[in-house]
Amino acid sequence: MTRDTWIGVVFLAFAVLFWFAADGIRISPLDGPVTAAGLPKSLAYALGMLAALLIVRSLAIKRVTTAKPVAAEAGEDNSSDLGNLRQHLRAAGVLAIGVGYLLVVPYLGYTLSICGLMLATAVYAGARFGAKTGLIAALGGVFFYFFFVKLLHIPLPPGLWPDLLSPLAG
Amino acid sequence: MEGIGYAWQALTTTPAVFAAMAGVVWGILGGALPGISPSITMALLLPFTYTMEPMTAIILLASTYVGAEYGGSIPAILIRTPGTNAAAATAIDGYEMHKQGRGGEALGISLTAGILGGLIGLIFLVTLTEPLASVALLFTPPAYFALGILGLSVIASLSSGSLIKGLMAGVIGLMIATVGTDPISGVSRFTYGSPELLDGIPFILVMVGVFAVSELLVQASTPEWVKSGDVQTRIKLPSWSMQKRLLKPNLIGSGIGIFEGCMPGAGGTIASFMSYNEARRWSKNPEEFGKGSPEAIAAPEAANNTVAGTALVPMLSFGIPGSNSTAILLGGLLIHGLQPGPLLFEKHPEVIYGLFGGLFVANTSIFLIGILILTPTIWLVNRPKPYLMAGIFALIFSGIYSIDHSLFDLYLVLIAGAAGYVMRLFGFPFLPLVLGLVLGYLIEANYRRSLLLTGGDHIVFLQDPVSLGLLITALIFVVGSAWRDIRSARKQGAGGKGDGAAA
Repeated sequence: MTRDTWIGVVFLAFAVLFWFAADGIRISPLDGPVTAAGLPKSLAYALGMLAALLIVRSLAIKRVTTAKPVAAEAGEDNSSDLGNLRQHLRAAGVLAIGVGYLLVVPYLGYTLSICGLMLATAVYAGARFGAKTGLIAALGGVFFYFFFVKLLHIPLPPGLWPDLLSPLAG
Repeated sequence: MEGIGYAWQALTTTPAVFAAMAGVVWGILGGALPGISPSITMALLLPFTYTMEPMTAIILLASTYVGAEYGGSIPAILIRTPGTNAAAATAIDGYEMHKQGRGGEALGISLTAGILGGLIGLIFLVTLTEPLASVALLFTPPAYFALGILGLSVIASLSSGSLIKGLMAGVIGLMIATVGTDPISGVSRFTYGSPELLDGIPFILVMVGVFAVSELLVQASTPEWVKSGDVQTRIKLPSWSMQKRLLKPNLIGSGIGIFEGCMPGAGGTIASFMSYNEARRWSKNPEEFGKGSPEAIAAPEAANNTVAGTALVPMLSFGIPGSNSTAILLGGLLIHGLQPGPLLFEKHPEVIYGLFGGLFVANTSIFLIGILILTPTIWLVNRPKPYLMAGIFALIFSGIYSIDHSLFDLYLVLIAGAAGYVMRLFGFPFLPLVLGLVLGYLIEANYRRSLLLTGGDHIVFLQDPVSLGLLITALIFVVGSAWRDIRSARKQGAGGKGDGAAA
């Protein structure tokens, strides 16, 4: 099965799930001839049909193209998968940095967290972990703090610092 | 006359002029960075426009588009890496001129051609938009529904990748648009008890996610781009005799840009390459093309800057964006509760004519800004990519949080970014998804309104002549694109190339 065939299967399954989820939308007395579930169900049908078309198209293309020797094809598939796997893991790492920021920001507050985000992203993207990168991340964090909090007056998360420092101030 | 008054107000009001210039600066800087497209540059600004006055916000976004189209030519000429797709044609001869020590001259030609193209595009934008929008006054709810379907069909059929994937992306966008509270009955859909989802999934989160965050994910494993060692380059403006020589390619580029810009899905990249070819065909010195011909820079740059103006025509007239960048601009209008179309001219003329005035400021101020900002732009392009990525990531998170002060929004942006990455991987175009999300309400509301009028009888979509015409046009686009796909697949099969598994 080709990649597009698998994509089609996944979307077909999603369309079915979406239809059942739409079927669970309650009917309101304010609904007209088309209920709140009407369009979602229609979209589920449309996606299902398109997914089926994608499957048929990919199978038809596979059938008419010239077959390659099995060993060479297997070799090509494996190497491209490995290369792609590294790329995907790298991308997942960026997402993980983002999630990490979201987990710590309620506690550390915006400024420290954004410094950490910039430091982690820069190092992950290839910058050397050292004083220079740390300084750039720190300056970046300070810049963003002044820009967003002081200049634009956006109440970014303060973290636990106000609670921790208020007894000292008080 | 009233329109001129509003445009004059934009020309003489400090916030509007500042927004136009700031947009140009931001656009040049963003457009100059390889991998950061005009749409990403605009998407990064979207969260900041929430608190702005509508006219100022729209001028800022549109000026960013103008600036980015020029900005993309800077790395194209200096390091043969176009900052935007539309500058790819400029890189061919621009870099050759740079190697010959004529980089400053190439940048000067790019700048002046861009200004001329931008002003011509603006003239056509002003001339065409209101008459076309008046046509939309004939539209009934069935016609608006059909217009939304036509928009999705055209974009899906003209976007890169297969038609089926384009249509699937559009359907997914419409599905995302159904999340939240049903505007007609008040029933919640697909919220699963989450109060944050009651208002639906804001399209701005999806836009920033699929455009900007997914680009970051891709850049994580992309090698560093080549740096420009030439930080002392100064722009050299073309002489009068050179300007006379460049008049024909400028006009060729602008002419193609006018046509391509108005066509949904066409855009600056196609216009710039077509202009390059046509300029070579009509040149007295076609043998110079590919070896550093000034005409080979003027034509594509005039084209892609003309497109920056005329691409707004279908978006402002009908609310159907024809490109990623105009989709972002549509998002900017919708954020402020402004629906493009004839009613926008009636209810908020200050926004439309103010936009026209702001674009005039942008297209003229780019002359001075382009000269002044060249050195900082080269400096920025030469910064190590890890630091640029870190800055962009921080900007995305800070900007998105500033909208609703919600960490939940940031999770949604990351999810959209991951989805955008997967879409790139499997060859699904972004624009139909974004369009589906943005047009979802328009399509559903008019669909249900139409059926309310007829008690549920779908024949209403065929009885309304405008609706019928638009639906037939949509069908023609879809069938035409499907036929093209089938022919392409048959050629592929006959040639025996590959296993057809690629998207």
